[in-house]
Amino acid sequence: MGRTAPTYRQALDERLKRWEAFERLLTTPEEREAFGLLRSGARRYVAQATQVGSPDLLESILLSVLLDIAQRLPPRDANAE
Amino acid sequence: MSAEGWLLDITDASDGRSVLLWTKERRSGSVRPEAVAFRPPFYVAAPRAERRGLARDLRNDPLVDEVIERTERPSLFDARPVTLLAVRPRSNRSRRALAERIDRRGNFHRYTLYDVDLTAPQLCYLTNDLYPFAPIVRRDGVWAATEPAETVDYELPPLRLARLEVRWTGGTRRPGPGDRIAEICLGPDRLEGPEEELLRILPSAIAQRDPDVVLTDGGDALDLPWLYEGAARCGLTDAEFVLGRAPSRWTPSRGARSYMSYGRILHSAAAFNLPGRFHIDRENSFLFEDTELPGLIDAARLSRLSLQSVVRQSPGTSFSAMEIAEAIRSGVRVPWKKNRPERFRPADHLVAADRGGTILRPPIGVHDHLDEFDFASLFPQIMVRHNLSAETLDCRCCPRSPHVAPGLGYRSCTKRVGLLPRTLLPLLRRRTALKAAMRASPLGSAERRRLHGRVKMLKWILVTAFGYQGYRNARFGRIECHEAINAYARELFADMVREAERAGYRFVHGIVDSMWLAPGPGCVPTEEFARAIGQRYRLPLGYEGRYRWIVFLPTVSDGFGVPNRYYGIYETGEFKLRGIGGRRHDTTGVARRLEGEILQLLAPARDAAEFRRLLPRALARADRFAERLRAGDWPWTELVITRRTTAAVDDYAVFTDTVSALYQSRAIGRSLAPGEKARYVVLDRRSRSWRNRVRLAATMQGDERYDVDAYLDLLAREVETLLAPFGVTRADLLARWGARATPPRDRYASPSRPHQLRLAPG
Repeated sequence: MGRTAPTYRQALDERLKRWEAFERLLTTPEEREAFGLLRSGARRYVAQATQVGSPDLLESILLSVLLDIAQRLPPRDANAE
Repeated sequence: MSAEGWLLDITDASDGRSVLLWTKERRSGSVRPEAVAFRPPFYVAAPRAERRGLARDLRNDPLVDEVIERTERPSLFDARPVTLLAVRPRSNRSRRALAERIDRRGNFHRYTLYDVDLTAPQLCYLTNDLYPFAPIVRRDGVWAATEPAETVDYELPPLRLARLEVRWTGGTRRPGPGDRIAEICLGPDRLEGPEEELLRILPSAIAQRDPDVVLTDGGDALDLPWLYEGAARCGLTDAEFVLGRAPSRWTPSRGARSYMSYGRILHSAAAFNLPGRFHIDRENSFLFEDTELPGLIDAARLSRLSLQSVVRQSPGTSFSAMEIAEAIRSGVRVPWKKNRPERFRPADHLVAADRGGTILRPPIGVHDHLDEFDFASLFPQIMVRHNLSAETLDCRCCPRSPHVAPGLGYRSCTKRVGLLPRTLLPLLRRRTALKAAMRASPLGSAERRRLHGRVKMLKWILVTAFGYQGYRNARFGRIECHEAINAYARELFADMVREAERAGYRFVHGIVDSMWLAPGPGCVPTEEFARAIGQRYRLPLGYEGRYRWIVFLPTVSDGFGVPNRYYGIYETGEFKLRGIGGRRHDTTGVARRLEGEILQLLAPARDAAEFRRLLPRALARADRFAERLRAGDWPWTELVITRRTTAAVDDYAVFTDTVSALYQSRAIGRSLAPGEKARYVVLDRRSRSWRNRVRLAATMQGDERYDVDAYLDLLAREVETLLAPFGVTRADLLARWGARATPPRDRYASPSRPHQLRLAPG
């Protein structure tokens, strides 16, 4: 059954593939690990990004990655301003 | 009124001017054909300027009997009446050729043709309110059904079944070179003797037993072609060698073909029909295994297709025929070629519209005490609830319709009910009624099985009803419908996340119409939650049960959970397995056995902690299997690997086990077409020779040595699939079992295919 547009998942995979060139020139293990986090962050929220159905692929990737980073931050102190 | 008998089937008569009604008499059980003159017209809409000339020429055409002008609203998509030419061919057999000629005259676009590919038997059912397996009485000289096709609780005619199987010299199922047919099993009877004698007595043996249904395992591909070839060898003619209730040619009514469906190459054997009987080849029927005879008969009744076609075709064909029946009943014609191109749409709309249902990634690992809820027949329910149908979407009459597809803006009509919902609603009600009947106790096991088959059939039909909306050739399909259904489903799913939380559950996993929830303290009881959601959204939500434990499995590539690969056990003790070996048809016996034993070992665990405590025992069981495999005496029948071929033997670029099996098949004169299954045992995976690498299951002697490493690898894969979330890897298992890793696949260069040589390394 033919689809007309690629799914978000397919578009994401293609973009991540393109970014492999970026990763190849990272020189420290820390950088590479951080890059891996970025990639898994993007993949973690595929269902949610699909729900948005945005024509802007980067918007969906950014949102996913930012949320992934945000939920790794230490819990915020409710009293601090 | 009690029926005098049943209408089993309507088939084309050989004279081209009538159809044969095959009826079974209640009193005697005998089946007789009755020829009834029937030549239905088809319809042509032509521009007014051409209509008169076309009608005149058709009236002079030797293939045409009569041409009548009539004015009516031809199809669902036409708003006002049109003048049509009703063209009655001289013979039913020239119906299609004549229509093609007319279409060509209109340069394939100026004329619209209707009802062309509805067959004479199909139209005979529809225009006479008849259907397959209808109880009938004779009224004013013609047969009439005593109850409508939609009746849920009906009496089936007593059908006589007989299994047919051919065996060769030496009692084998497959012929070797020079073999002759040595034995024919027919029901409980076993005919033995020299081939010619056997074939001479077979027609009378069948006539004597007179089965309504001839059941075979591979009859389309094997037994019937063998019998006909044998008959030809013995000089019998098709008037003498008759296996049906009337003579027929020995050629198949449809040829074999390889085709692609949902990304898989499949193969369907040629179809050999026996006039007056139903030939059911279990290996050539996608549906028989699931639905059995009662399910297929139900589908035949509702679709007005012969049981013989329902058996071999996909449930989508049955559903299309049900839509056609509904269209004809409401007085509209069925367009021959769908002339409804997709609307032009901007790219961002396509990105927004062309999306499926929501599928989350489950948290991998073992979870306990999850509750599972499923929406029953969600997509069909959405189509009915929002009146989604090709002709009701974005209608002109309802600009303020409250039914608007979320995010897409497609409105549906509020004034008339669409063809799709009209076809679906009785099916949904039927499924509910049958499921209720299954719950009503007490039921005998035979009755339960009958109901189960019918429920399964309806499930298949309802599933394809959705898929067909997106299929470009579907008669009444429309892609926007497909998109709207998904949009409503996604919206509902998103609502469910909040609804579950409000009711005190945590949302753990969800796929389109199913969700797995973790109940929190003081949550709304499960049945009450399901009922409340069902009422609020007017879509039935069912509670499937609570799991003692369930394991969600990861992908190999990125380690995230695969949405539909999991195994778990309900508190009732019933397993639910998805996407693992035991669910797949082609799982090798030894892997299936290991999986079964591991699951049985884990079954007693009452929660996740107990599950983890049992894991070492599961691994120990795998070790025992590995040890026995290494000893080299595992029964070969459990080592047979089944693989569906995807291309002809010369078209493979990589030398694999399957390619070796294909070469061997060709060498013994049994070439496999793409989509057919190769069955073999791996003898030496490192061998570069197709003769030594594998051995076809059909030619196994039993004293061959199998490739221990290849099967250890297969076991390791199986164990890894089940236990990957707990840190078990294939590499560790192989190292622990002392197996050599499987070498990487080589590019394979076939000397007969120079283009493949370029693929070869170096």
